[in-house]
Amino acid sequence: MTLRLWARYFKHALTNISTNRMIHAISVGTISISMVLFGAFVLFFVNINNLVMEWGRSTSMSVYLKDGIEKDTRQRIESALRNLPGAEFKGFISKEKAMSDLMETLGPQSGVLAGLTKNPLPASFEIVFKDVQQLQLDPRKIKEELEKMEGVDEVQYSEQWLERFEAVIYMIKLVGLVVGGLLSVAVLFIITNTIKLAIYSRRDEIEIYKLVGATDWFVKAPFLIEGAMQGIIGALFALFILYGMYWLFSFKTIRISGLPLMEIVFLPNGHMIFMLTLGLVLGLMGSFVAIGRFFRFFD
Amino acid sequence: MADPFIERSLSQPSFFKDPKTTDNRRFIMIQLFRVSKTFGANIALKDISLRIRKGEFVFVTGPSGAGKTTLLRLLFGGEQPTEGQILINGINLNRISRLNLDLLRRSIGFVFQDFKLLNRRSVFDNVALASVVAGDRSSVTKKKTHQILRAVGLASREQAYPLQLSGGEQQRVAIARAMINNPLILLADEPTGNLDPEVTRDIMLLFRTINLRGTTVLIATHSRELLDNTEQRIVVLHKGLLQETGR
Repeated sequence: MTLRLWARYFKHALTNISTNRMIHAISVGTISISMVLFGAFVLFFVNINNLVMEWGRSTSMSVYLKDGIEKDTRQRIESALRNLPGAEFKGFISKEKAMSDLMETLGPQSGVLAGLTKNPLPASFEIVFKDVQQLQLDPRKIKEELEKMEGVDEVQYSEQWLERFEAVIYMIKLVGLVVGGLLSVAVLFIITNTIKLAIYSRRDEIEIYKLVGATDWFVKAPFLIEGAMQGIIGALFALFILYGMYWLFSFKTIRISGLPLMEIVFLPNGHMIFMLTLGLVLGLMGSFVAIGRFFRFFD
Repeated sequence: MADPFIERSLSQPSFFKDPKTTDNRRFIMIQLFRVSKTFGANIALKDISLRIRKGEFVFVTGPSGAGKTTLLRLLFGGEQPTEGQILINGINLNRISRLNLDLLRRSIGFVFQDFKLLNRRSVFDNVALASVVAGDRSSVTKKKTHQILRAVGLASREQAYPLQLSGGEQQRVAIARAMINNPLILLADEPTGNLDPEVTRDIMLLFRTINLRGTTVLIATHSRELLDNTEQRIVVLHKGLLQETGR
């Protein structure tokens, strides 16, 4: 009996969608746009978070050598670096390689280097510490120790840069939380009102249902199913639009002054499922609130 | 109108052989005890007491604003009386739960001047709606809908949409929808208000036929023409007061 009733509710909902195509298209469109705004924000936040996590997870260290040092000195430094606990030796970058890398990175802007008479870039060793936090390494202490070695000019590590931007990142997270919260409320408000308008435009239909003795649940159930379907379809469209935008506009790698800063990623699977669930829940909530208000009005 | 349904109905003796002479409580379909209804400062109905027997055919008349529509709305629970009690087939509407009111409405058919049809649904779907709401299986709904559409002479138009029909045909769809569940009561609010005299006669004949099958019929109208040519009981309302119950 219950199964037959639900089958009937679903059939009604599908018939309603088919007979009120325009209203449903408008609702789904509005939900999609709202979800695109929300999704774009989530996408931005996911990428910022990735960047911060990446920076926090591993520390890369550049050990710059003084110009004109002996081969023995260089080998001694290399040997010391290879034996550093927790460090992964990434290689030696000669002055010439450093210059060619820089020219390649700058691409069309590499002309600025053409006037140089002498290569100002130092040779360096590159090492990476994986899981700095887990190994409880102190990059600052390692830097100080390495800088005491003969032939080492300067040591730089990525966290130095991160430390400088910690306050900025904290602000981004704070603003993100506030904007995300406001955006969620706005999306709920928009979806509720869109569905309310859609239901209001069908008030005659509801009146007729009530006149022929339909129970409240008989009238409400198809509207709730329609709301949930609108929500999930809207969220699905939003994901398609977001992916399209990601595909069209993403250069995959964000560069600052020609230097690579971060790799852009799309929403992870978990986040996509979250968006779809959010669409479903918002659609359901929207129609629940709207139909409840409408029934009070009808009474 | 040579309609097989009407011919068949007229040939069958009514279950309620002589409702006018029967005044037993169990034969009362509608009872109003000192019913008043106000909307803010406006008095729509004042101190109305009325008794309508099962199988009776009653006209409610009066000028615009007399309270005819309010009276009909009170009878199907579309409005609650401000004062007084209303009993439908022995059920007190003041004490009925919302769910039971919905169930009661399935045994009351409604016909309105503006038809109240779903314009984006076919004639068949409009009529089937009341059966679907009543929880009939789809095979039963199909059978009942075909039968009732044949009875009101619209079998060939069941796939048409309301706006493709004439006013008289639309009203017949509304009557078919009201009748599909064999209601105890049929309420009609100005059912012929928008129709020409010839179609009005057909519709009234349909109401009379329904009444002969045992359904209590209550029609609100201010058409003098309808009332002049009737032998049925007439209830007159004026400014919310019951002035007379004639014939």
